[in-house]
Amino acid sequence: MLGITDASILLAYVLSVGSALLCIVYGIVNWNKGENNDKGGGNK
Amino acid sequence: MNYVIIGLAVYVLFMAVLAYLGYKKTRNTADYLLAGKQMHPVVMAMSYGATFISTSAIVGFGGAAGQFGMGLVWLTVLNIFVGIFVAFVVFGKKTREIGHRLGTNTMPEFFARRFNCKFIQGYSGILIFLFMPIYASAVLKGIVDYVAKYIGVDFTVVLFVISALAAVFVVAGGLKGIMYADAFQGALMFTGMAFLIIYTYDLLGGVKAANAALSQLPSMPGVAEQTEGLVKGGFAGWTSMPKPGSPVWWNIVTTLVAGVGIGALAQPQLSVKFMTVKSGRELNRAVLSGGIFIVFMTGVAFTVGALSNVAFYNSTGQIALKAAGSNDGIIPAYIKSFLPEWFGGIFLIVLLAAAITTLNALVHAMGTALGRDFLKQSLHMKGKTISLTRVSMLIGLLISVILAWLSSKLDISMAIIAIGTSLFYGLCASTFLPSYIAALYVRNFPKTAAVVSMIAGSAVSLFWIFFVQEKTAGSLQICRLLFNTTSIVKGTVLNTLSMVDAIVIGLPMSVIAGLIAWAVVGNKNEVETAVPVTED
Repeated sequence: MLGITDASILLAYVLSVGSALLCIVYGIVNWNKGENNDKGGGNK
Repeated sequence: MNYVIIGLAVYVLFMAVLAYLGYKKTRNTADYLLAGKQMHPVVMAMSYGATFISTSAIVGFGGAAGQFGMGLVWLTVLNIFVGIFVAFVVFGKKTREIGHRLGTNTMPEFFARRFNCKFIQGYSGILIFLFMPIYASAVLKGIVDYVAKYIGVDFTVVLFVISALAAVFVVAGGLKGIMYADAFQGALMFTGMAFLIIYTYDLLGGVKAANAALSQLPSMPGVAEQTEGLVKGGFAGWTSMPKPGSPVWWNIVTTLVAGVGIGALAQPQLSVKFMTVKSGRELNRAVLSGGIFIVFMTGVAFTVGALSNVAFYNSTGQIALKAAGSNDGIIPAYIKSFLPEWFGGIFLIVLLAAAITTLNALVHAMGTALGRDFLKQSLHMKGKTISLTRVSMLIGLLISVILAWLSSKLDISMAIIAIGTSLFYGLCASTFLPSYIAALYVRNFPKTAAVVSMIAGSAVSLFWIFFVQEKTAGSLQICRLLFNTTSIVKGTVLNTLSMVDAIVIGLPMSVIAGLIAWAVVGNKNEVETAVPVTED
C-alpha cells in the first residue's frame, strides 16, 4: 500500500496518524473539562 | 544568500521583541521559573512541542532515518502516543496538580517535596546538570552542522554565534519569555516541515511512486556495494525493519526508538511545563495541538530523511549517507541540493527555531538544577535564586558548547546527534521514571524506595553507558583508557550486550531496586508535606 510493502512500517504510519487522531479527539471531547483554577502555592 | 540574511534579520528582530516582553513581565521567581503558572493552552502546547522537537530530532534522527530507513517512524508513534498523549493525560495533569499543591518550581523540587526528602533534590539537580549538557551539545551540533554547511562558514565560528544567541534569549527572559518565543517558533517549524514533506513527495513523483522507488532502491545498480556494511549489520532496505536481533535492529529499537520514546516521560525540561498552566483543562486542550504538531515534526523528518536516498541516487548514483558524507549531514545536504534556494533560507530559520527553543529549555533546566536545586536548596548557598540560576545557566551552556565542539572531532560515520540525545533520555527514564510514577500514583511509596530507585537506575545506566554499550562507551573514551577496549563485553560470550541500550537494563533495575526497598522498609509513615524552603 502506498508503495510500502513491509507491514511493520505501514503499521508505524497507521499508528502515528491514529495517535494524532486520538490526541485531536481527546482534546475536543475534554475541551471544557478539568477546570479547577487552583492558584498553587509557589514561592513568590 | 540574500534569503538567509533577510530571514535571519526578521527572526532575530521577532525574538528580541519577545524576549523583551518576557523580561518586562518577569516580576518574581515563579514568573522566572514557571512563567507565572497562567500560560494559554496553545502557547503551552507549542512550547512543549517546540522544546521536545529540536535539531536533534530533525537533523540527527532525520539523518538516522536517511541511513537506516523508515523503521524510525516507530519513534514517531511513541513521540505522539507516549510523548504527548500519555505524558499530558497520565503524567501532566497529576504533575500540575501535585506540583501546584506543594508549590514546586522544578522537577527535582517536585520529587523532594513529594517524598519529603532534601537529598533527592540535590541528587537529581546535580545529575541533570552534569548530563544534560550531552543532550544540549547534540542539539547545538544539529544546528551548527546545518548552518556551517549551508553558508560555508567554519563549524567553530557558527557554534560561537548560535551559543551567544541562545545565551541572550534564555538568561534575559526566564520561562515566561521562553514560552512566548517558543509558540512563535513552533508555528515557524510547523509551516516549514509541512512544506518540506509536500515538496519532497512532489519532487519524487507523488507518495506512491516515491515510496515504491525507495522500496526498490536496494536492488538498483551500484547500491548493493554502498550498503554492504549496513546489510552485514542487519539492514534490510529503507522501507523495511532490519533483521531482528541484528546490530542495526538493536540500535533502532532500543537506542533510537525506546530510549527517546520512553525517555520523554521523565524529561525535567518538559515536565516542568505542565506546572505552567492553571488547570487540567489547559492540558486537555494542549493535547490536541501537541499531537498534530509532532506528526508534522518527527513524522516528516523521518520520512524525508529516508526518501532523500531516492533523490540522491537519481541525481548522483549514491545513497544519502555516501552523498552527504556523514549521518548528521544527510538532512542539510538534501535541503541544499534539492530544495529551492529560498526554502533553504527558511529552513535555516526553522532549524534555528527548533534549536533555540530546546536549548533555551535545557539551559533553563540546567540553571535551575544547579542554581536552585543543588546550590540554593541543598547547599544553602547565599544569594538570590535568580542570580544563582542565571550564573548556573551560563556555566551549563558553556559546558554544552565545549562538548559540541569536541563532538565535531568524533567519527562522523556515527549518528552522533541521535546517540547523544538517546543517552540523556535513557538516563532520565532509568533514574526518574519509576519514582515519578510512584510520586503521582502511589501514595504510600516511601522516600527510601524513591532514593534507592533513583540511585540504582542512574548508577546502572551510567555504568552501561560508559563501559558496556559500545556506541557510547567507545565515544566517551573512559572504557578505552581503563581497559583498552570500546566495551568490556566485546569479544566475550556477552558480546550482544554491547549493542543493547542502557535503558533496557537501567529502567528495569530502577524498578526492581525501588520495589525491593519498598518491601524492606514498608509503607511510609510520614505524611506528604512541603520541606522547609530557603526563600530569597
